[in-house]
Amino acid sequence: MSGVVQAPMRYTGPRPNSREVVLVLCVLTLILLFSFTAFISRQYHKKIHTLADEWFAAGEERFQAGDPNGALTDYQNALVYSPNNTKFQFHLATALAEARHYDQARPYLLALLSESPGSGEVNLQLARIAAQNNSLPDAERFYQGAIYGEWAGDDPIGMRWQIRREFCDFLISKGAINQAIPAVIDLAENTPDGDAARLKVVGQLLLRTQQWSRAQQVYRSVLSSDRRDEEAIAGAGLAAFELGEFADALDDFNRLSPERRAQPEIARAYEMAHRSLAMSPYLGGLSEQVRAQRAENALSLAQARAQSCARQLGISLLETPPRTELQITYATAQTMGDNWNLRNLRDFPDRLEAAMQTAFSIENAAAKECGEPQGDDRALWLLGRSRNMVNR
Amino acid sequence: MPESPEGAAPAVPVTEPASEPTPAPPPVRSRWETWTHEVFTMREDRFFLLLAVLIGIFSGLAVVCFRLAIEWTQIELLGSSLVPSFPRVVLAPTIAGLVVAVLALRVFPAVRGSGVNQTKSAVYISNGYVPFVTVIGKFITCALAIGSGQSLGPEDPSLQMGAGIASLIGRRLRLSQDRLRLIAPVGAAAGLAAAFNAPISAVLFVIEEVIGQWSAGALGAIVLAAVSSVVTMRYFLGADSLFRVPPFRVAGAFEMLDYVALGIAGGFASLLLLKSIVYARPKLMALPRWTHYLQPAAAGLLIGTIGIRFPQVMGAGYAIVDQAMHGQFTWKILLILAVLKLLATGFSFLSGTPGGTFAPTLFIGAMLGGAVGSIEHHFIPTLTGTVGTFALVGIGTLFAGFLRTPITSVFMVIELSGNYTAILPVIISTMIAYGISRAYQKVPLFDLLARQDGTVLPSLEERREMMSLAVEDAMRTDMVVQCEPGETITDIAKRAEAQPEFALLLRMRPGEWWLLDREDVMRLAPDASPTVTAIRAKSRGPVPYLFPDQTLSEALAVMADWPVLPVANRANLAKLEGILTLADTLMAFRKAPKEEM
Repeated sequence: MSGVVQAPMRYTGPRPNSREVVLVLCVLTLILLFSFTAFISRQYHKKIHTLADEWFAAGEERFQAGDPNGALTDYQNALVYSPNNTKFQFHLATALAEARHYDQARPYLLALLSESPGSGEVNLQLARIAAQNNSLPDAERFYQGAIYGEWAGDDPIGMRWQIRREFCDFLISKGAINQAIPAVIDLAENTPDGDAARLKVVGQLLLRTQQWSRAQQVYRSVLSSDRRDEEAIAGAGLAAFELGEFADALDDFNRLSPERRAQPEIARAYEMAHRSLAMSPYLGGLSEQVRAQRAENALSLAQARAQSCARQLGISLLETPPRTELQITYATAQTMGDNWNLRNLRDFPDRLEAAMQTAFSIENAAAKECGEPQGDDRALWLLGRSRNMVNR
Repeated sequence: MPESPEGAAPAVPVTEPASEPTPAPPPVRSRWETWTHEVFTMREDRFFLLLAVLIGIFSGLAVVCFRLAIEWTQIELLGSSLVPSFPRVVLAPTIAGLVVAVLALRVFPAVRGSGVNQTKSAVYISNGYVPFVTVIGKFITCALAIGSGQSLGPEDPSLQMGAGIASLIGRRLRLSQDRLRLIAPVGAAAGLAAAFNAPISAVLFVIEEVIGQWSAGALGAIVLAAVSSVVTMRYFLGADSLFRVPPFRVAGAFEMLDYVALGIAGGFASLLLLKSIVYARPKLMALPRWTHYLQPAAAGLLIGTIGIRFPQVMGAGYAIVDQAMHGQFTWKILLILAVLKLLATGFSFLSGTPGGTFAPTLFIGAMLGGAVGSIEHHFIPTLTGTVGTFALVGIGTLFAGFLRTPITSVFMVIELSGNYTAILPVIISTMIAYGISRAYQKVPLFDLLARQDGTVLPSLEERREMMSLAVEDAMRTDMVVQCEPGETITDIAKRAEAQPEFALLLRMRPGEWWLLDREDVMRLAPDASPTVTAIRAKSRGPVPYLFPDQTLSEALAVMADWPVLPVANRANLAKLEGILTLADTLMAFRKAPKEEM
């Protein structure tokens, strides 16, 4: 097995006069070999292109049939025969992402991104992977890349709108409301006025990011073209409720079908709006007696809430000097108790506002210490919030 | 046309008389003969360079055909899927193994093994003779073996095929013996360059491993051949790198430490592969000859069995390396693939199946690198180097540890990836692996194989490690009386008398010493007047001089019959650093520690 081959004995050394012939033969052989190589190379490339296309088609079929795992092998086979085909690489990466092999999809996508940094679809896939990996900075970067990237289809603007929406959904789902607000506003600004379906989506996102007045505005614009659109009515009602416009909210809710009104979120808002209105001393047309009565009730309710919260926290409300906000506001209510009794509130209506503000402050302090209230306390708390909004 | 010595006008201006008729133009045949004579009588070294380009193109074409043959065989035998069906995966390598064994033992007896040592043997033993039948045999048997799934690669056979083509052309052109010896490495570089799509690595590998020394005479031709073969190959198969490496970056200096672990792992993995060859190859070779017919088939059967569950280990595996670079495998799978490929390559190589070890080495290195990278990522999530980066560095690491060609390994990674970013990690990891492999396995792979085959071939590593004694190790700083031309004979004689053993060197001018005849000085001194200077005495010169950093081998070459040679200072030729004698030189060689073999 040595592999050592001795030269044959007949070898007699150089004989330069035969070089011309040998070189001419060499060139002729070269031409022949070149032609042969070109022929088989062409045949080979034809063959592997066919194979690549066949495997890719098989992969597409499986992927479309909802079998991304099965499609993976087909795409990988296709890439064996056409390793630099970016389309195949992208489809493989998409199938990997679909099959939740995010770490495996990422390198392919990064390679594709380095080749075409402006590709919208590559950025989008990378953004989705980053979103799955809870990587907020990467997701933001790639979503922005996808939004401002190139889209080859018929409707790039529509695609960008969808990505903006996906981006907003992602940010909201991750609780990144501060980042979500500008993204939702951007989405709203990029939504055509007449497109009710998309406007309703924007309205929902605005509600979820607590942009109540913008949401109300969006829903009202939908309702201006279709007054019966229940989704828009519900959205507008919820926005009105959150803005403390309980009467408007009730108006909207009352226009809804019973089924829609029975939806938990709307039902809760509907009930709260009712309660808040029933507790409000600020409604027009109420007598001084009723206003005073409602204010006194609010104070009592708030003080009871403070006591309950103090018990929950295991503190005394009568501590001197009062330290916490709850203790301070409760002490105020106690001190002013005589001034804010039913008679004084009725006879001196100017004291009503101070009494109600104290009740609201107690509710606020209790909400901070013991969590958001329920029932009448919640109605009073919401009333306070809406009153403060009006004052601001 | 003859020119005057200054190269200006012709020595004899030739003017045609206007009245004489214009001679008829020479016939076509005559003109052709004149032209061919001019072309073919060009200086031998220029003709050799032209030939290198021709060899490069031939080798490039041969490698293209070879690669296509492997691919085609693979598609026909194993199917076009990365996951071959069950009967094929076992039957193809087993039956092909049988066929290959018969061909290798009966028809093409010189095709067994990788081809690197056979080419080296051609250079050092057979005056550059590589029979063309070996090229044909290598082409057929390797295409069949690799295409059927044996864990071997096409690079080393391409190297041998290139050498064989070059040897054939050289023989047909009746080149001189010296040129014939040089032409095989030229073809080898061309073949390897085309197979790897990496001309620099091919040139370096041929110098490191085939020629075993930096030969300026061959370098130009080797580079030309490598480049022309790569250009030819790219014309048919495209210019893309062998692997597509996803973008990566290597962070600060501290992160370099992460590649130390890879260097250590790669070093020990290559050592394991080397030691298994050291142990098992002689034993398998010693088995009865009839078993040699079955060994490739047995290897094929074992590989096919592995391939049922892990088909990735079959064949050269470039597509799988590409997948590893793209992070397609978990660290467990990467590690399993590294171990199984190591086994499969061992089976194929030890069974004597024709085929190369480069591709499997790259595969094992990539898998091992990827596994180390994945594990490090698990513990250091902030690591910037991707799994692909580690796989890429792993390639160079195992290559350096197993094949013991560190310079080639570093450049190969850069060429294969087309990316310079990984250079520092590669150097760190490669050097560690190389150090480990060298520390625990003194003889490099190809030397080892040659010795097992009963031949002793030189290697660059061996020469690199050879103790190189310098003039300063043997020279004496005393033992010389240095004289000036203006010095009187009387003074010189006094000094010479005081040191009877010392040589008398006369410095005529900076860098020119003459050896004074001591006896003549002593003879002239008693009667010499104070005005008689050293010039009057008998002397020999000018004596060739040395510098302290020159090797003793160089000193021996210039020593001739001079009893003593002056050693001058490189910055000041007037300054004598010492003298060197033959006795001192031989003493230094005797005292030098002997290298462990």
